[in-house]
Amino acid sequence: MSGLIGFLRAAAIGLPVLFAASVAQAQSGPPTAEELAAQIGDLKKDYEKRIAALEAQLAGMKARPPAAEQKAAPASRPSMRSGDNSFNPAIGVVLNAMFVDRSDEEVGLPGFQLGHESERPEKGFSLGHSEVTMSGNIDDKFRGALALGLGAHGSETEVELEEAYVQTLAGSGLPDGTRLKAGRALWTFGYLNEQHAHGDDFADRPLPYRAFLDGAYNDDGLELSVVLPGDIYKEIGGGVFRGGDIPFGGSETGREAWSAYARIGGDVGRNSALRLGAYVLDGEAHGRAGGAHAHDEEEDGHGHEEEEHAEGEEEDGHEEGHPHAELFSAGAFTGDTRLFGVDFRYTWAPTGNARDSELILQGEYFHRSETGSYTLQEEHEECEDPSPDPNNPHGHEVCETHVDEMAEDLNGSSSSGWYAQAVYKFLPQWRAGMRYARLSPPSAAELDNDLSTVSAMLDWTNSEFGRVRFQYNRETFGETRDNQFILQYVMSLGAHGAHSF
Amino acid sequence: MRRTALAAALAAALLSPAMANAQVRILACEPEWAALAEEIGGEDVVVHSATHGGQDAHYIRARPSLIAKVRRAKILFCSGADLEVGWLPVLMQRGAGRIVQPGQPGHIMAADHVEVLERPEVLDRSLGDIHPGGNPHVHLDPGNIAILARLLTERLEQIDPDRAEAYRQRLASFQARWADAVAGWRERTEKLRGMKVVVHHKAWVYLLRWAELERVAVLERVSGIPPTASHLVEVLELVRNSGARAILRAPFEPEDASEWLSGKTGIPVVELPFTVGGSPEAGDLFSLFDSTLALLEEARDRS
Repeated sequence: MSGLIGFLRAAAIGLPVLFAASVAQAQSGPPTAEELAAQIGDLKKDYEKRIAALEAQLAGMKARPPAAEQKAAPASRPSMRSGDNSFNPAIGVVLNAMFVDRSDEEVGLPGFQLGHESERPEKGFSLGHSEVTMSGNIDDKFRGALALGLGAHGSETEVELEEAYVQTLAGSGLPDGTRLKAGRALWTFGYLNEQHAHGDDFADRPLPYRAFLDGAYNDDGLELSVVLPGDIYKEIGGGVFRGGDIPFGGSETGREAWSAYARIGGDVGRNSALRLGAYVLDGEAHGRAGGAHAHDEEEDGHGHEEEEHAEGEEEDGHEEGHPHAELFSAGAFTGDTRLFGVDFRYTWAPTGNARDSELILQGEYFHRSETGSYTLQEEHEECEDPSPDPNNPHGHEVCETHVDEMAEDLNGSSSSGWYAQAVYKFLPQWRAGMRYARLSPPSAAELDNDLSTVSAMLDWTNSEFGRVRFQYNRETFGETRDNQFILQYVMSLGAHGAHSF
Repeated sequence: MRRTALAAALAAALLSPAMANAQVRILACEPEWAALAEEIGGEDVVVHSATHGGQDAHYIRARPSLIAKVRRAKILFCSGADLEVGWLPVLMQRGAGRIVQPGQPGHIMAADHVEVLERPEVLDRSLGDIHPGGNPHVHLDPGNIAILARLLTERLEQIDPDRAEAYRQRLASFQARWADAVAGWRERTEKLRGMKVVVHHKAWVYLLRWAELERVAVLERVSGIPPTASHLVEVLELVRNSGARAILRAPFEPEDASEWLSGKTGIPVVELPFTVGGSPEAGDLFSLFDSTLALLEEARDRS
């Protein structure tokens, strides 16, 4: 093809000269040199035009393969290998570790159950959640994904099935904009819940996520969502779930929770965008307990899963004199729990290029209302000295196991929490951020104070795939203050999914 | 009464998918394809571009507005070759209808239909943010524009057969004007042939090949990662006595590295529009190439 064009191009230069000469001779009288030059110039232009038109046509021909070939791979990709590997799912690995220094005093989550995922980070070096993800299209109608979280707790490696879901593709036959997702997934609730934690802008989840969702709600169930037609982004959806994950737990029927949400969003001017959402998540909990391992032995008065701490004499330092708070943090909840949430996220890239500089503002507010009861059973042994019976010199200690039970019935007990954060990318590879989070314990817990955390972070992003972050947290509850310093890296290799807004 | 009317209006706003106008909605990922769609579609289409001339299409967010737009689009017109890999998959899974899915007539990825340059032989993330499918910036060769014009017309005819004639007529008109323009540009590029340039990113290969310019060095050694000081020093050595006439930069590329090199060598930095809307002069596809050549000619004549 290029040979042909080259030939034409040569002809375009050569031909006009001959042609012009012969035309010129046929005219009356010998033409002047200027006339000749002008004529040649005109002709040359004319030919170049035609050649360009030919080029365009040739190009067009290339673009239109014969009808029979239309479904085949495009001509420009002749060497596509089609071994078994090309159908492998996209595999990605996220590596994540931190170094932490912090105060000895632990604020914890007074008035709330401390879940497994919401413990404060361990001192010194530790691995966070490493993650392995696999995803791919199943066929023309479905797509599937699997995400495993690998966490190290002491010498044990824990594997958590974070996500394992299938969802419909546009070819599924559902109306445009409609998607059905089933299995286990990070369901739609607020902004952060859908995101994997390694994509967060801070090293830890904010207080309301720790208190109400134990990091994130990833239950088993299914969710339908619909993007409504129109120039403005509007999405509605809802789901039904097993009720096996915090804020629920101990599901009896296997379908005890439901959710609904609505979102709206759009561009604000040329270089910024906004999204707002409102959410509800409602269901039954049966004996929901926090289940976190407390770290500090001397404070571990309520490690109710840890049988070795059966002494039970010690009260948590900061909860002393708040038996109700103890009930709410260490007790088990059975009843109806309903979460409302609203969120916003605003991004602004001054030049339109988020890669150079960008400001992200984000905030969420959660409100929880619970009707049911908290119960706390504490077992402890009381031993009496053997009775001074001279007839029985081999008298054993007499021990009895006492079970103290505390319980409180609630009717619409409410608690709430919110956070707001700003993250600014001031250089292409550097971002700084601030976050304030606040949590109001249930009034029945009779705690006088709210919890609050102020966080500051600075991170360096070498490429899209590697990030190193420094974060400072100051958690406050009454007189208790916990200063935490976190140095973290989050790196991903392999397939790296596109980011949602 | 009023309440009923309001409810009806609300219902209409929520439910009716563009009942009022039957124009074909086109979502272009980049402004150059939006401009081409305007040329062929005229008043029979509504075109939106996901990015504007000042934006790098690698790195935008899957904004809510784009989900709404792809939801309504009958044609999705992008560069492809993974240029939009950071955000387009979200749109495809979240709002996109069947007609714009791969293999459907509404799915046009330019790089699938033209000769793609710089297909990497080795794929490794240590080489930066590389594109396994080759260099996706195919629009900077007028021949590729002609190919895509024809392809888009065919797809429009398929999707909107009632107005096939109008699309064909606009294509014919565009092809004639484009051929004229290409002839004019050809004369100009002949005088630019062999001009030596330094580029910031590898985004210019198609322009360089078409205009037969010679690339002396690339500032961004690892694609997608800002150049390091040591690499810049190497580039400086390479460029110093090379006879390069210009350092080419797109509007969205950072200024510091190119300005530094320019300061050291005296070679002028030339900010080319790169795409439609990339400079005030580059208002459409024709003026994009016109003004690009004018800037190159200016740089050649300056030194």
